[in-house]
Amino acid sequence: MREDLMDIICCPLDKHELDLEVIRRDDDEIMEGRLVCTECGEEYPIEDGIPNLLPPDMREESPA
Amino acid sequence: MTDLAERRDLDQVYQPAEDTRLLAETAAECVGDGDRVLDVGTGSGYVASVAEDSGADVVGADINPLACQEARENGVPVVQANLTDPFRNRSFDVVLFNPPYLPTPPADERNDWMEYALSGGEDGRAVIEPFIDGVGRVLASGGEVLLLVSTLTDPDAVVDFAADYGFDATEIASEKHAFERLLVLRLQRSTDG
Repeated sequence: MREDLMDIICCPLDKHELDLEVIRRDDDEIMEGRLVCTECGEEYPIEDGIPNLLPPDMREESPA
Repeated sequence: MTDLAERRDLDQVYQPAEDTRLLAETAAECVGDGDRVLDVGTGSGYVASVAEDSGADVVGADINPLACQEARENGVPVVQANLTDPFRNRSFDVVLFNPPYLPTPPADERNDWMEYALSGGEDGRAVIEPFIDGVGRVLASGGEVLLLVSTLTDPDAVVDFAADYGFDATEIASEKHAFERLLVLRLQRSTDG
């Protein structure tokens, strides 16, 4: 994900801001990392350049 | 990745069809230079790409991780998300959505990603209604929603539901097919005038 996405995303649960923790950056994209809610502390992974902002109970629902 | 594995992934991501193209063409007419646009249920990213070609600043969202990967490979900035849940208040000038709308009896529901992309539950509106419930929060002042619906989904019921959430809905595009008519509804807040 590009860092400017931070301007439009928020915690899906309480809509508060997210802190970005970068694990691996590739050119202008964050490939691996974490988004952490500044209010509730919930962590959302960034994997293969894609932030997963599903609420935790939906993360496990994957049918595929 | 082997060809077979790639094929399997494609089978799990909704590929552009008549409904996709109608929404994309309509979006191209409505979206302007510099508009901030969210494409919900972006799938392969086709509608988002067309909106981007019109000069908009586009983000795609999909619940399906395989769709997110494919949209990203097609150059669309993407977030794995349930509808508009993880987007900030008043972030978008235009929100696009080609929802799952096929009415599907519970006994026929399969549990895979293509089912997510197609099935609108028993009345076809199981995903459309929560979308309308949530979308107002992320719309900027004067913002609008372009929502694809089918005559299979009872567009009048969608219009009534939208009215309950403070939206005026107008049909702005339509296309006839063998078993249904596809249409694009534009939803604008009643109070925006």
